Amino acid sequence: MKKNNAIELKNLIKTYGDVYALNDVDLNISDGEYFVLLGPSGGGKTTLLRSIGGFIRPDSGSIVIKGKNVNNLPPDKRPTSMVFQGFALFPHMDVVQNIGYGLKLQSIEKNIIDEKVNKMMDLVGLTGLHNRKPHELSGGQQQRVQLARALILENDVLLLDEPLSALDAQLRKDMCIELKRLQKTVGISFVHVTHNQEEAMSVADRIAIIADGKMIEEGTPQEIYNKPKKQFTAEFLGEKNILIGKVHNLNKSKIILDINNDKIEIANNNYNVSKNQGVSVSIKSESIQIKKNVKPKTNEKNSIFGKVTEITFLGQFVRYLVLLSNDQEIQVRSSEEVANVKLNDQVILNWKLDDFILHNE
Amino acid sequence: MSLRDDFQPKWKLLLKWGWLSFAVFILMAPTFYTVYISFNELGFGAKYYNFTFQWYENVFSDKQLIGALGWTMLLAIITLPIVIPFGLLSAKLYKQSTHKVWIVFILLSPLFVPADILASALLVFFKNLNKFFTLIGEYTGIYSLDTWFDLGIMTAVIGLIVYTLPYVFVVIMITMARYRNEQTEAARDLGASAWRAFWEIEFPQIRAGVFSACAFVVILTFNEYTRTSLLKGGFDTFTSVLISQMLNTGMSEESYAMASIVSLVAVVIVSAILIITAIKTEELEKKTRTIKEPNK
Ligand SMILES: Nc1ncnc2c1ncn2[C@@H]1O[C@H](COP(=O)(O)OP(=O)(O)O)[C@@H](O)[C@H]1O
Ligand SMILES: [Mg+2]
Repeated sequence: MKKNNAIELKNLIKTYGDVYALNDVDLNISDGEYFVLLGPSGGGKTTLLRSIGGFIRPDSGSIVIKGKNVNNLPPDKRPTSMVFQGFALFPHMDVVQNIGYGLKLQSIEKNIIDEKVNKMMDLVGLTGLHNRKPHELSGGQQQRVQLARALILENDVLLLDEPLSALDAQLRKDMCIELKRLQKTVGISFVHVTHNQEEAMSVADRIAIIADGKMIEEGTPQEIYNKPKKQFTAEFLGEKNILIGKVHNLNKSKIILDINNDKIEIANNNYNVSKNQGVSVSIKSESIQIKKNVKPKTNEKNSIFGKVTEITFLGQFVRYLVLLSNDQEIQVRSSEEVANVKLNDQVILNWKLDDFILHNE
Repeated sequence: MSLRDDFQPKWKLLLKWGWLSFAVFILMAPTFYTVYISFNELGFGAKYYNFTFQWYENVFSDKQLIGALGWTMLLAIITLPIVIPFGLLSAKLYKQSTHKVWIVFILLSPLFVPADILASALLVFFKNLNKFFTLIGEYTGIYSLDTWFDLGIMTAVIGLIVYTLPYVFVVIMITMARYRNEQTEAARDLGASAWRAFWEIEFPQIRAGVFSACAFVVILTFNEYTRTSLLKGGFDTFTSVLISQMLNTGMSEESYAMASIVSLVAVVIVSAILIITAIKTEELEKKTRTIKEPNK
């Protein structure tokens, strides 16, 4: 079943001086989807989110929400609600007044407001905190109030700009689980901005990587994490083993790469590349086997030689740093120490054909 | 309280407060002396002290002075609802602008021009406007504008606005600086119009500053001599009457009583503002502190 789009963005451009905060962004977000905008700080995530919410007017491009073009509408006329990073609760109002404010603006009867506020408070886990002022709440509770205040209006889209960044690590994990649960309960689209990949992976149905005002790629958390299409994504997600070279030869099932004259072989998963094209590849450090190189055999295609420059014990695993003959460094993670591999040993690294991922750029 | 305060020896603290009180005393001594004299039946420089309220009674039965008091109140009351919104708008502009230095410079510039120069400049300006409108009247037959810029309440109010706006701006700007704009955005997002967001969310949080600004305007209006006397004409506002009386008859005992009343009112208002603002500031800071460090 194909879902309708809650949000359609076309050719969005926003500049500040000669900085492109948004550089021709296209993006569709489906109904009822938990969508995460992930990327480094300064990449344009906030600008994109605030454009959707109506706090920023893009220089050009169109924003369609629920089939309606909202380009010229202010925030109070858009079917979106926003959860801010912090500081956005009204300090002179208590929890009930904060949550009920949006309904009060619609001149709804007080007892109906109270009833809805109570329901909302139970839903987000604020039961019993009715008459607290924002400064009497913890950071996590303050963000729950913001959630309740936004969700009570039952708009089509909830926008969240780094909603958990002021919380400590443990609380952030708990809140991620709750956000996801909440989104499934209310069933509307969430658009969540973060620079934290764990946070993104744990809540998202779909993730878009955004940097330098451009969409880099989008996909499910699994796709983004396991098979990043772009080198940037791999790097941003903390991938250390990125090798740069060019296509030496290829057929339907295999690609042979030339990495500084070392030939390595990878599986061809319908990659759109041609002979002699410059590419980069990456491999997860836990996907590599390391063993002592007794007799050099140069004809093995899916292997490469190197020298161990560092061995670090990291609790659950051991990390080997291996220097290749072309001066690139490879990290290998092994769940236990590999017998007789010592510092400065010559080693041979093996992998399964499938484990190398090719990036177009 | 900071660490340093906690470990400070008692005598140092006493010394600080002692110094502060001494400074205030020196600054205010002439005022206290005036108050002292104002209750003496025998007046300034007398050998003996006979306590009396007589001078105060005289003041309050002096028609000219009371009339002047009325005029001045009126000026303050008309100036307030004009200059306060101006100040609010200026402070908002300042907060949003990227050219903050220029805004401050432009808005504070009336303070750098000496009172009499600014006043005479406005005087000349109004005279010319008058000529201009009279001329227009002659050509068009519309004479209703002729008297607009005759010296009077309107011109005096304009002078006062020019004079008090910088103070109003500074006071409001300082309170507004603590306000977090995310709240306005949140209110807009929840469906509030710009006006409602200002009135229901921002204003309650900058109220202390706005009220302080009001008090400032009233005090400044009462203290002002040059601008009002030149621009209102008639020399019948409070300070001008007071000063002309003093110049004509020398300091009379009534003058001391008068001066005491004004000083007392001013001191009370200013202290009230200081205390209220201090309390509000403390509260606000507590709030922002807890909102800033929410990891509990
Ligand atoms: N109001 C502004 N004035 C000037 N530059 C801005 C403004 N807002 C954002 N930018 C610039 O636009 C780019 C994107 O910013 P932003 O959307 O806040 O990124 P992110 O939320 O991903 O950290 C940055 O280079 C930032 O410096
Ligand atoms: Mg941001």
